[in-house]
Amino acid sequence: MTTLKKYLSLYLALFRTSFIADLEYRVNFMTRFVTDVIWYSAQIATFEVLFRHTPKIGDWNLAQMRVFLGVVFIVDALYMIILSENLDQFSEKVRKGDLDLLLAKPVNSQFMLSLQKASTAMIGNLLLGLSWFTYSLLQLPDFQWLRLFWLIVLIPCGLVALYTMRFMIATTAVIFTRSENLQFVWYQIYRLGMRPDSIYVPWFKWVLLTALPVGVIASVPARAILEPPHLALFAWAVILAVILLYLSNKFWKYSLKFYSSASS
Amino acid sequence: MKTSFVVFLRRNLAFAKLAIVSNLEYRLNYFVDAVLQPTITTGIEMLLWFAVFAGAATTEIAGFGREYYLSYALWGAFFARICTSWMYESRMIQEIDTGSINSLLTRPMSYYEYYFSQLMGYKLITTLVSMLVPVIVILIFDLPTHFKRLPLAFALEFYYLILVHSISFVVASSAFYLNKVHSFTGAKNLALWFFTGELFPLDLIPEPLRSTLIALPFSAGVYVPVGYITGRLEVSSVWQSFISITIAIVIVNSIGAVIWRKGLKVYAGTGA
Repeated sequence: MTTLKKYLSLYLALFRTSFIADLEYRVNFMTRFVTDVIWYSAQIATFEVLFRHTPKIGDWNLAQMRVFLGVVFIVDALYMIILSENLDQFSEKVRKGDLDLLLAKPVNSQFMLSLQKASTAMIGNLLLGLSWFTYSLLQLPDFQWLRLFWLIVLIPCGLVALYTMRFMIATTAVIFTRSENLQFVWYQIYRLGMRPDSIYVPWFKWVLLTALPVGVIASVPARAILEPPHLALFAWAVILAVILLYLSNKFWKYSLKFYSSASS
Repeated sequence: MKTSFVVFLRRNLAFAKLAIVSNLEYRLNYFVDAVLQPTITTGIEMLLWFAVFAGAATTEIAGFGREYYLSYALWGAFFARICTSWMYESRMIQEIDTGSINSLLTRPMSYYEYYFSQLMGYKLITTLVSMLVPVIVILIFDLPTHFKRLPLAFALEFYYLILVHSISFVVASSAFYLNKVHSFTGAKNLALWFFTGELFPLDLIPEPLRSTLIALPFSAGVYVPVGYITGRLEVSSVWQSFISITIAIVIVNSIGAVIWRKGLKVYAGTGA
């Protein structure tokens, strides 16, 4: 409990520092927000345009797809706020030797690497995502609001899946030093999760829920609020999150064996 | 006059070669960048179109069958890879930010041409390497493509790259005045992602937005060349795109010239 308190207060301190640092560059603060507004608009426009020509894509109609997009925006915004900047700069930290400093600190190195910098400029994105999500739920006929409770469990599970996959790919920078393009491949894999899993063929859907679990990021939480509960699927999402967290830590420790300090 | 033009050509050819050699140095990285990434994108987009047609329970959308959309998604991802500029724009910004631009400013060349020729060299080799993928897929699956139209489509694409570089030059020049302009690159490229027609054919959008987006020069990045080779558009659309790109190049470069000149005046030589 004391350890948990220590890490929580440490994270709050890091978050505060990040907020002050972000406010220093106000134009950058605004541009990053605008960038994501464009990304959200492009996602919305894609499905709004496609649904003008079809009543259903995969299992869902337009109203349901809007809810799915709402979940995507919320998970993405949370990821951007909490984790994205740290993992995007991972490779640089390894190359420039900043990792040495983090390893020397009396805290868990995976914690520091993953959560050192929060992107507070993205809080606006979260508000935007929440607004879209609320709007999309209001468009649903006969929506059972109690289903929202599933999100308390499933969104953190999706976030953990997203984090661990990204973390493990970023960690390859310790082994290979230059692995920028593997990071770019990650964005393509991530895009698979930004589309509803029902558009994929069954075997591929299975892959996206197991070996390459980007399906857990948004499709599973969206199913929880749009369809009757699939308890086995939800249980799997929780178990998978635990397994992935464990594996990411194991992989991190393994890759550190290859680390030969600054500019390695 | 003639000699100076020859020198100019030789110099820029050397820049283009430099870009080709330096990009091919890390072959795995290059393979991922030029082939693997657009291939995955294509796969995702094609799956979406399969799902769209399955849901629509129809053989045609906006007058075109599923194969046309699969062909569009296939070519679209690769054309989009060609018409986007991240790497050189980021380098230009970084050089102005850090002050390493000094070594380039003292050379007998312009900053614009130095990166323009490199961009062209890089895009040329990327086109040659990456376009093999859609060509092979088209031949295997017999998807609709007018191969005779490819040269004009590529000519339009490379003409569009002049505009792309000019916009990059404007974005990079703003680094003289502002810190952290890297985020401009992200915002701009995301906007172009939509405006070029990479996400879906622009003619699916309802009016009046449809006509506006098609008339903009950005549609020459993906929609017009891909629409032309897949049979959605006729040659008149390509000529119209050449005209709109020309107008945009004049406007963007005028803005770029002003920002650059003023930027150089306020630049202290030690990084912006």
